[in-house]
Amino acid sequence: MEHQFDPTTEPGARSYPISIEHVTKRYGEAAAVDDLSFVATPGRVTGFLGPNGSGKSTTMKVLLGLASATGGRATIGGLTYAELPDPTGTVGASIESDAFHPGRTGRNHLRILADATDTPLERVDEVLDLVDLSAAANRRAGAYSLGMKQRLGLAAAMLCDPPVLVLDEPGNGLDPQGIRTLRNLLRARAAQGNTVFVSSHLLGEVEQLADDVVVINRGSLVTQGSLEDLQQSASLVRAASPDALRMALQAAGGVVDLGQPGTLVVRGLSLDEIGEQAFRAGIALHELTRHTDSLEDRFFAWTGDSADGEPIHTNRRNHELATNRAS
Amino acid sequence: MNWLRIVRAELRKLTSTKLPMAFLIVLVVIGAATAVAVAFGTDMDGSKTFISTAADQQSLMAFAGNALVIAGLFGAIAVAREYGHGTVVLTFLTTPRRTRAVVAQLAAAFVAGSVLGFAGAGVSAVSVAAGLTATDFGFMVPAADLGQVLAASTLAGGAGAVLGAGVGAFVRNTGGAVTGTILLLVILPPLAVQMVTETASWIPSTISNVASGIDNTVSAGAAIVAMLVWAVVPAAIGLAAVNRRDVV
Repeated sequence: MEHQFDPTTEPGARSYPISIEHVTKRYGEAAAVDDLSFVATPGRVTGFLGPNGSGKSTTMKVLLGLASATGGRATIGGLTYAELPDPTGTVGASIESDAFHPGRTGRNHLRILADATDTPLERVDEVLDLVDLSAAANRRAGAYSLGMKQRLGLAAAMLCDPPVLVLDEPGNGLDPQGIRTLRNLLRARAAQGNTVFVSSHLLGEVEQLADDVVVINRGSLVTQGSLEDLQQSASLVRAASPDALRMALQAAGGVVDLGQPGTLVVRGLSLDEIGEQAFRAGIALHELTRHTDSLEDRFFAWTGDSADGEPIHTNRRNHELATNRAS
Repeated sequence: MNWLRIVRAELRKLTSTKLPMAFLIVLVVIGAATAVAVAFGTDMDGSKTFISTAADQQSLMAFAGNALVIAGLFGAIAVAREYGHGTVVLTFLTTPRRTRAVVAQLAAAFVAGSVLGFAGAGVSAVSVAAGLTATDFGFMVPAADLGQVLAASTLAGGAGAVLGAGVGAFVRNTGGAVTGTILLLVILPPLAVQMVTETASWIPSTISNVASGIDNTVSAGAAIVAMLVWAVVPAAIGLAAVNRRDVV
């Protein structure tokens, strides 16, 4: 019997949001994931960010039923992975970049998956071609470069043309051309209404790839939202009396960092609110604009470390978290 | 979920690496050694008494005991390496219900082990026959007894592979799985006999010989059941462990 594509699960025909609901995973006393909740929406690429050991892979393994949650529930379209009537036809996953038998060819690796999912063997050649691995298909996977292994993992994930992709660090080891191909491919999948959930620590890649980001640190949610909103959640203020304005804005509940000399980076207050506070304090403003941080800056702020290794103040992070959640 | 397709995938896993070829080479080497021993070996007194009767020749070609151990190692390595290489992730993604996945894995191991066992006995029989051509003795084993030797080795191979696969699933480490399988099949049984003499009738070597028709300590049926128990118990322990643990 060939792999049966249910019309209601064809890409774009039915949406499968990924929902992580209060998931906790403990190993003994240590919590790898702690009461984590977020949603990855169909039609968008959701980047899953966090430092090494922050719980990204564990969360993905819980989502895919490879690890059991100590508490909470992780679902795809409302069902756990094991409950899905056609798991591989619904979710394509690549969790470990080197999960191949080194003595097995790339083609045979995919043929095994095709056998198990009743997918026509012709589809193996199609996905090999899609990830530009046809020329190396009959070589042993042990001889593949990391980038080739990543592409083989991606081919395996897309073998059954699923409406949901869950990829753990898919950009690792890819050359610039490979990253561009990956980006185009994943964006195209999302554009078709599919759910694309990608963990990565390559911030530049996520910046170009993701619509939404979920950031975790030490197993807990730090922030989530659309990348655009999160990057533009600050305002840049240049004023005649920056110190006085800083105190006024802090008194109004803003989180204020010093920027370039004479400028302030303000979070937690809108442009209007900043202008009003400056007016009330009698401080002349020379500039008031939206401030777009690089994802790297935001990442270090969210995860508690500055680029030069200095920890970010906890209150600031909490305030940002509250602000982002509120928005 | 179609069982056949999962087993087919597991069989492709087993046959798409060099592991089966390595074990077939081992069988050929054992066969060659057997042929040389038959052709040129003698008893202590310099005679060829050890090949002088049909029973002696059947005893020489009885391969079930070897099949149990060799296929056991095959099953242990095949399954433990799935965990070592991480390909088990793919297994449980395609078949999230782990009992099904493991049972399919055990079924494939049984098939592959049976093939190894049959091939081992076949190579052994051919080797004895070839060795005999260099002696004054002809091939005396009746077809029915030869069939029993082949059948016993086939069953032992399947059972051994299931046992090894169970150990591999439980231990998840190739070195540990190989050690565990050798402990179970080779080292612990004689120790058990030393502690409890009655166990001698049920250790792998005895039941393999009974199944091959060269020992009558217990009935052939009882030996076959015992062989299956030797396979099923480690497999069940492995299955329980897989169901209980996180995959990676």
